[in-house]
Amino acid sequence: MSFYLAIIGSKDNAIYSLDFGTYRQGGDGTSKFSADVRQLCPFIVHSSLDIIEEVQWTNSAMHLKVIDKFYNYLISAYVTSGNIKFLLLHETRADEVIRQFFVDLYDLYVKTLMSPFYSVDQAITSKVFDQRVKMLAKKYL
Amino acid sequence: MAVRTPRQIGEDVWKTRIEKVNAELVTLTYGSVVAQLCKDFTNDYIQVNEQLDKMGYNIGIRLIEDILARTNSERCRSFKDTAEMISKVGFKIFLNITPAILNWSQDNKQFSLIFDDNPLSDFVELPDDGKAINELWYSNILCGVLRGALEMVQLQVEAKFVSDVLRGDDTTEMRVTLIRVLEDEMPVGDE
Amino acid sequence: MSKLPTPSRASSDKSSSHPGFAVRSSATSSSLASRRATVYDRNMNRRAPDLALSTFAFLFSEMVQYSQKNVKGVQEMENRLSAYGYHVGQRVLELATVREIKNAKRETRVLGLLQFINTTIWKAIFGKVADALEKSKDQEDEYMIIDNNPVANSYISVPKELSSLDCASFQAGVIEAVMDGCQFPAKITAHSVPTELYPLKTVFLVKLDPLVIEREKYMR
Repeated sequence: MSFYLAIIGSKDNAIYSLDFGTYRQGGDGTSKFSADVRQLCPFIVHSSLDIIEEVQWTNSAMHLKVIDKFYNYLISAYVTSGNIKFLLLHETRADEVIRQFFVDLYDLYVKTLMSPFYSVDQAITSKVFDQRVKMLAKKYL
Repeated sequence: MAVRTPRQIGEDVWKTRIEKVNAELVTLTYGSVVAQLCKDFTNDYIQVNEQLDKMGYNIGIRLIEDILARTNSERCRSFKDTAEMISKVGFKIFLNITPAILNWSQDNKQFSLIFDDNPLSDFVELPDDGKAINELWYSNILCGVLRGALEMVQLQVEAKFVSDVLRGDDTTEMRVTLIRVLEDEMPVGDE
Repeated sequence: MSKLPTPSRASSDKSSSHPGFAVRSSATSSSLASRRATVYDRNMNRRAPDLALSTFAFLFSEMVQYSQKNVKGVQEMENRLSAYGYHVGQRVLELATVREIKNAKRETRVLGLLQFINTTIWKAIFGKVADALEKSKDQEDEYMIIDNNPVANSYISVPKELSSLDCASFQAGVIEAVMDGCQFPAKITAHSVPTELYPLKTVFLVKLDPLVIEREKYMR
């Protein structure tokens, strides 16, 4: 099973992205997207931003669950107080596990934000952040 | 009145006579200052260090009165006593930390403060531009504070950081050197 | 459609892609990653113990002194102080949310947001809730947050010429950042309204952007 994670800033700009696969059932953690699909991931995820824009005003929860579909892929979303969006492209529905993943991701995001040298909407390039996201992916997905 | 150790003085003042604020307010405010300075000086970190030192100096010369007013302590008899007061009282009152005092020089005019904990630099990651990690002393304001405060009690010192965990070093260490005493004598005994 | 994002990293090699990086830097940051505890190891819920008010006061008074350089008037000065507050506010918003993550929700209405600011945000940084929240009777796009005794004003041993409005500008910046972050753009101005009982009483006037008013109407 493959996943694509994107963190999108308040100005709809990309802050971070990662594609990975599951470690469960003998998976090795690398995504199995075909090249075509892999190339499309950012676009797919980006187009669901419009849906988020509408839904976020009627739903005051952070975890918006599945908000969009693309063929057999689902897109789940989580929106922070500061309007930063976590988007996950995945294959099977798993609301609760994905929510926990997003909550821990939020924790990582806030730690990044707390540094005075990181500005809101800036791309996250820290290798440690990347490492920690992968650990979360392994833990939950 | 029983003589109290610097540690007891510090603890006592900390517990009873200080109005407190949220630590994050200080951490984040200091962060916004450093970030602003980096912008103003277009990432010339040497200048940022200098500006932080200047600001610290201005704070230090007023902060010392605050300490003296709160603690009613005796004049320090030696530079070693001064070091104890700085760590156990000064830093305790203002930052709720007591940096370790180590590495005294042979002539007792130089020592190091080792900071295990530093509320000013909580959550800070230096920018990844290859320069900050070699040039910026994030908490440099503290050097200025020490310099200013001690000047008001007739001690001219030089204080500077020699290592910082933010830069990837093992410890955060500030080296304090007594340059000279500004008065002819330091009276011993109660104020 | 707006400009499409390019994926920033594949799951394989991540050698530093910035040319001109000093070798030490990339070596250090990867050894940093493995060697020492990083900010990512900190527990967000473990709140640091409080610090002395004087610490904040001294720091703030220096910020004011520094901001006075090359400034062409009160307005510019207040803007600079507000900018510091803005920087702080952006972080406090997400920090306060993550700390209450179990009950957290996003504010979608003006009143809810202002109450969130008055209680959660104010408490998160000033250790107390704001004293009142009022809606203007004449202007539908104006609200007022009232603080009888702004924390930043009640300090000691600082020059008397430091006006209380400077501190309030900082706090106004915090409010503005929270409102912007939550997608409720507004202009925040601070006004000193001393009374006998509260000589430092400050009113933060919140003037909402027309976009917000439109949206509120639509959502009713």
